[in-house]
Amino acid sequence: MKRTTEQPAIEVTDLRKVYHKRGSMPVEALKGISFTVRRGEIFGLLGPNGAGKTTAIKILTTLLRPTSGSARILDRDVVQHPLEARRAMCAVMQDNAVEMFLSVQNNFRVYGRFHGMSGADISRQSSRVTEIFGLQDVLNMKGSELSGGQKRRVQVAKTFLVDKPVVFLDEATTGMDSFNKRETLEAIKHEASRGRTIVLTTHILEEAEELCDSLAIVNHGRIIASGSTQEVKSSSLRLITVTLTFNRVTSGVLRKLERLKPHKIAHTEDTIDVQVRSESVAMDVLNSVRSMRGFRHFEVAAASLEDVFMDIVDRQERAGDT
Amino acid sequence: MKGLFPVLYRDYVMRTTSPLWLFFDLVVPVMYLLMFGVGFNSALGLGIELEGRSLSYNEFFLAGVISMACFGLAMNQSYGFFVDRDSGIFYETLTYPITRGEFLLGKIIFQCILAVIQTALSLAAAAWILGVNIPSSSLVYLGVGILIVTSGWFFTFASLAFLMRRTDTFNTVINVAYFVLMFVSSMFYPIDRLPSAFRVLSYANPVTWHTDVFRWALTGVGSTESALVQAAAFFIFSLIAFRVALWALSRAVE
Ligand SMILES: Nc1ncnc2c1ncn2[C@@H]1O[C@H](COP(=O)(O)OP(=O)(O)O)[C@@H](O)[C@H]1O
Ligand SMILES: [Mg+2]
Repeated sequence: MKRTTEQPAIEVTDLRKVYHKRGSMPVEALKGISFTVRRGEIFGLLGPNGAGKTTAIKILTTLLRPTSGSARILDRDVVQHPLEARRAMCAVMQDNAVEMFLSVQNNFRVYGRFHGMSGADISRQSSRVTEIFGLQDVLNMKGSELSGGQKRRVQVAKTFLVDKPVVFLDEATTGMDSFNKRETLEAIKHEASRGRTIVLTTHILEEAEELCDSLAIVNHGRIIASGSTQEVKSSSLRLITVTLTFNRVTSGVLRKLERLKPHKIAHTEDTIDVQVRSESVAMDVLNSVRSMRGFRHFEVAAASLEDVFMDIVDRQERAGDT
Repeated sequence: MKGLFPVLYRDYVMRTTSPLWLFFDLVVPVMYLLMFGVGFNSALGLGIELEGRSLSYNEFFLAGVISMACFGLAMNQSYGFFVDRDSGIFYETLTYPITRGEFLLGKIIFQCILAVIQTALSLAAAAWILGVNIPSSSLVYLGVGILIVTSGWFFTFASLAFLMRRTDTFNTVINVAYFVLMFVSSMFYPIDRLPSAFRVLSYANPVTWHTDVFRWALTGVGSTESALVQAAAFFIFSLIAFRVALWALSRAVE
């Protein structure tokens, strides 16, 4: 476990945001969300497109004022003391925000200056982040000449150039190829291990599962689950997937498994995926097949965040709570 | 006010690494002055009769060029704002540890510095290349004037850049505004002999107000009273534009 101190880095209380646009109905993008992020932790704000993640980040980074509710960054209220709050943070917003007319090198220089760094510090830190993000080849290219993924890397690199305690990353890995993505995720982990607090949004659950210490799942402007990544995964009904491999799947095996009332069952010619809601049912599944002819081996896996997310959303929508 | 420096630094780096920006920001009005000057000055021969005075075209046009400098800079800056909003860097800048006031003030100060340089270039070209006499008493009026005129147009065009969403709408509006505001004014020619509808429109155009004031300062054409009225009118126009720009900036983020 990572070291985290008691006083929270971020406190969000009952945040609401209603967008008013002329000629269309008001949109309630956030319907009262609350969460706490501890210092030094990687916190994920997850949810499908339109859930309200970007709206929340915009309020936290002082771009938008909330309709009601409050948010504090290291004990500085983002509405009452926006400048103080901004002094504690740096952010990658959802657009590919780089200076189009400036070289990557000058992007770093300008960004560093805005965050109060000296010229010497900027040089030292830019070599460091250039190395980490593999930007040597594009250092002299202008922002307008970069691909989407490269712009994204430059953006994330900028936030690691400055040493601000709180970092916001809104969909930071969008448009990166898997190689760049891997390096970026590693860099994010490394920065967090140095004690920085990182808040990221994503709709890619594997990413969150790999990175986040804790998270909140947002849907239609509400938090539908939150806690440590482990807690969230197990708070929903426990979902365990047992994968059984046979020489050939027969209807007899399937009938036998159906009798155990699994949550879900799916099969191919030689494998069966059985999703169950408790460890004891998982044991029953294994017991009932282990002495069967043609059974070769099994694998037990905890549910992925994706499964959990679908499960929670399913149940909520069935309950009409949207 | 420490937050002003990075705003200035950013715009400085941008001008010194992108020749295109520097060209539009510093060279265009001087080119107008020299090309129109040489062409019209010889074509018009004796020059322009204005309020009982006869001016060479170069003498007449210098005030227009200085107006154009301030006006054109504000327009380029608003184009810059639009590009920055499009790329998203505009919003990112608003998450930096500087105040909104420092951001806007830094932008204006940079524009004013460019306006001073441009005016100096134009005056130097007029005096040394075109042989226009520039009374030293006019310099104070010009100095104060270009700061107010640059700021007034900065607020006006920045508001457009903050409010408009679509690139094509913005480009159209900016191009039409550029053309109409410059040509339906006293920038290029005297307006007292224009067809009456044209003349009324020209008098309603703030570009005419400050061009006339600059012309009064440089050549003594026109009465002091009317220069004062026009200066006051432009000042009020700038204050209104300032209020609108603040409102538009807050709207830009939503
Ligand atoms: N500027 C805006 N004006 C009106 N509605 C908006 C605006 N920005 C976002 N929304 C709406 O608010 C909701 C949440 O959007 P957003 O915060 O961008 O979600 P996410 O980042 O999770 O995809 C969506 O329904 C979106 O259409
Ligand atoms: Mg988003």
